[in-house]
Amino acid sequence: MSEPDVIKPEMMRSYIWLQTADGSIQQVEQEVAIFCPLICHEIHAGMGSSKTYPISLPARVNPVTLSLILDYCRFHQVPGRSNKERKSFDEKFIRMDTNRLCELTSAADSLQLKPLVDLTSRALARMIEGKTPEEIRETFHIPDDLTEEEKLEPLKNITDDPRIRLLNRLYARKRKELKEKEKLKNVEVEAEHVDDRSVDELLSFINGENGVKTVKNKKKNRRRKDQQKNAPESNGISSVGHDDRVKGHCLPNINELLKLQDSEDDRFGLEDEFDDCDIGDGIDPEIKEQIDREVEDFARRLNSDWPERVQELLSLGQERRPSLYTVNGNGCSARRSSSTGVEKHEK
Amino acid sequence: MAYSFPEEVLEHVFSFISSEKDRNAVSLVCKSWYEMERWCRRRIFVGNCYAVNPKIMIRRFPEVKSIELKGKPHFADFNLVPEGWGGYVYPWIVEIARGYPCLEEIRLKRMVVTDESLELISKSFKNFKVLVLSSCEGFSTDGLAAIAANCRNLRVLELRECEVEDLSGHWLSHFPDSCTSLESLNIACLLSEVSFSALERLVARSPNLKTLRLNRNVPLEKLSTLLQLAPQLVEFGTGVYSAEIRSDVYASLTEAFSGCKNLKGLSGFWEVIPAYLPAFYSVCSRLTTLNLSYATAQSPELTKIVSQCHNLQRLLVCLDAYLYPIQVLDYIEDTGLNALALSCKDLQELRVFPSDPFVADANVLLTEQGLVSVSEGCPKLQSVLYFCRQMSNSALITIANNRPNLTCFRLCILEPRAPDYVTFEPLDAGFGAIVENCKQLRRLSMSGLLTDRVFEHIGTHGKKLDMLSVAFAGESDLGLHHVLSGCDSLRKLEIRDCPFGDKALLANASKLETMRSLWMSSCGVSFGACKLLGEKMPGLNVEVIDERENLDSLHESCPVEKLYIYRTVAGQRWGSNKVLKKALLVKESD
Repeated sequence: MSEPDVIKPEMMRSYIWLQTADGSIQQVEQEVAIFCPLICHEIHAGMGSSKTYPISLPARVNPVTLSLILDYCRFHQVPGRSNKERKSFDEKFIRMDTNRLCELTSAADSLQLKPLVDLTSRALARMIEGKTPEEIRETFHIPDDLTEEEKLEPLKNITDDPRIRLLNRLYARKRKELKEKEKLKNVEVEAEHVDDRSVDELLSFINGENGVKTVKNKKKNRRRKDQQKNAPESNGISSVGHDDRVKGHCLPNINELLKLQDSEDDRFGLEDEFDDCDIGDGIDPEIKEQIDREVEDFARRLNSDWPERVQELLSLGQERRPSLYTVNGNGCSARRSSSTGVEKHEK
Repeated sequence: MAYSFPEEVLEHVFSFISSEKDRNAVSLVCKSWYEMERWCRRRIFVGNCYAVNPKIMIRRFPEVKSIELKGKPHFADFNLVPEGWGGYVYPWIVEIARGYPCLEEIRLKRMVVTDESLELISKSFKNFKVLVLSSCEGFSTDGLAAIAANCRNLRVLELRECEVEDLSGHWLSHFPDSCTSLESLNIACLLSEVSFSALERLVARSPNLKTLRLNRNVPLEKLSTLLQLAPQLVEFGTGVYSAEIRSDVYASLTEAFSGCKNLKGLSGFWEVIPAYLPAFYSVCSRLTTLNLSYATAQSPELTKIVSQCHNLQRLLVCLDAYLYPIQVLDYIEDTGLNALALSCKDLQELRVFPSDPFVADANVLLTEQGLVSVSEGCPKLQSVLYFCRQMSNSALITIANNRPNLTCFRLCILEPRAPDYVTFEPLDAGFGAIVENCKQLRRLSMSGLLTDRVFEHIGTHGKKLDMLSVAFAGESDLGLHHVLSGCDSLRKLEIRDCPFGDKALLANASKLETMRSLWMSSCGVSFGACKLLGEKMPGLNVEVIDERENLDSLHESCPVEKLYIYRTVAGQRWGSNKVLKKALLVKESD
């Protein structure tokens, strides 16, 4: 151990100097500070013995957390304490708000103070246990950057995703609606427009296709048209799997999403594509705007209340339930069975 | 966490989070947590082997060390699931052999395990340590020999209630002399003899052996030899506990037991000769678990044993009719269960099986009194499995009031649809009291005469209920509707012989996607409803299991025999070659 340059005759202890990232410097009893492996190492390297040569602490240590850490060290570095005392101190010590606790964990880690890292990590783990993802986010102020697809049962096989099937069905409905609207409007405007603004063009617009090259559009539209025939059927897998464009723009593969560095909007990527659309693509701007809004709205609703959508979906094909309470039980004849109930003599 | 929180530190925090549920929650917090969590997930539990495809699992969790899989539904224990239905583990083993070469632990329940699977396991994982097979079948001692021979660092080999084809007792000799790592060996379910000398040598060279459960063929005379070789044992299961009464055998057994200072759990005890029971009295005060459920023809010895086991937490007994509290004239006779209530204040779990449930002796009454006594006397009682002949609402209400901390309550009144024996009313009020008072109740199994009212109670109060088993109960679809619409935490529902049809099921179809599985047999669900569910709910597999010959010509309105619905992300039944559209039809003859 090196001797301090400035000896204070009235004090028998030695002190060392620490500097936090904000520039402030403080003096600490050496026996306390060396409890931190990092500081201990620095002292042995000759640092910290005077105010002019303080030990620079890592950025993650601010004055508040340093103070806490030193309190911890001051208590634990005393050799005579019993396990019970130490445990009791620890329990009281970690009672602090979440933010402070996170800062403390981070700081302790940067100082390589393993016992405190363990203590704080366990405390954080206890704060996480038993909570829903939303509650965890609230506790730690973490933004929600997972898209709805990613949240859905992360083990899900993307090609089997009911939301994709749902999306296809809703597309079909939407197309139909838009088609009706177009028909109504065109009666008042121009008859020829009906031919130009085909359902496929609208759909390709929705899907973010660049409407300039009409030849290209028509090719893709033809393919899209074929697939539309398949979409309403229960096996919606083929329309998703084979249409790379759809996959690429609207229904990103989960694996691809995971590789993305930036957080994504909480929507299907429908809206990104609208910037591409030219005024000169032959679609009435007013209608275009309306479609923009409707599709945006559609996407938002889709994301927020999809369980209700599923119910809606079910109701498309079956009668609803009002008669439930008046129906007599479908009595079944008693069947003979070898056991008498639901419990076995399992031992 | 607005500032930087280094990954290693967050990972360190995650290392203290082990429950499946919590880990799943963590993975859904945000992208970076999802990524971190998947790389440090070490244990996977798959409650239904057909709910998930192993390839997806391996892709998402690359560094798993321990896997637990369950196959057939619970009602397979009652022979309700036909042969050949499924639960084959081999396809899983093939995938995980490729994906997880460093896997250390495999635990399987109700799966069909072949010798081929065992061989593959034994050769694929160089650091394999733990194999636990519960209620599994399909393998022989040859497969066990492969495990013994090839798993150099095996620590745990447990066979719990498995059906094993016994080809040779010499499979134990396949453990190489260099294998000294064994910590737990459970062969209780093996039917034929194992080579005792091989067993003896194995025990002798396993200093870390903590659990040893023998099968019934190990004679009582040999027990002391083994106990002396392994005085460090914590859990011990005897073989047959009867022999010619000889004082030297008795003396050495007594001495051997008293040498086991760490013994906390005892089991086995097939065919008990009461004279030998006091041999283990010296360990009673330390026992926390006692499984006497295989012991037949018990005597009042039970009272003596139980009175000494002050630290008992878990007791399984098979009570002779004599030991159930019976009313003789005007007083209740003191019995083993009353002794339990007096002596075992730490009791948490009680399972009481009748020795011969089908005895219709009018003089013998398996009553509810014993359970009431235990519920009064044991403040920590949480889990109950109780067989009896009669029950009353007032007894159930008393139990509910005494023990609001119950988490598992399984009552089996032997006669189906038996009413309250005092008032002849249904037992709705009694079970209703149980679900209402016991707010932490997670598992419930009911019996006796029950109307739709009990289901209303369950739907209203059973908010933490995770598993419900029902038989011969209810009056209409309303009953099922109450449960499906009210029980927020329900994951497993198994029903047999109840008058439930299509309506409640279809109306609550989306609920099924939040559950692990639903089993309905001998109810009134139509084939048409099954097909509709299968078509409309892509997240579910709907399996119709039917013995009848002409399945293809089954009319839409015809009720199906058995129905098994479970949620899945693996699509059609993976590994099966009998898939027909969305509803899987399985003929029993196939």
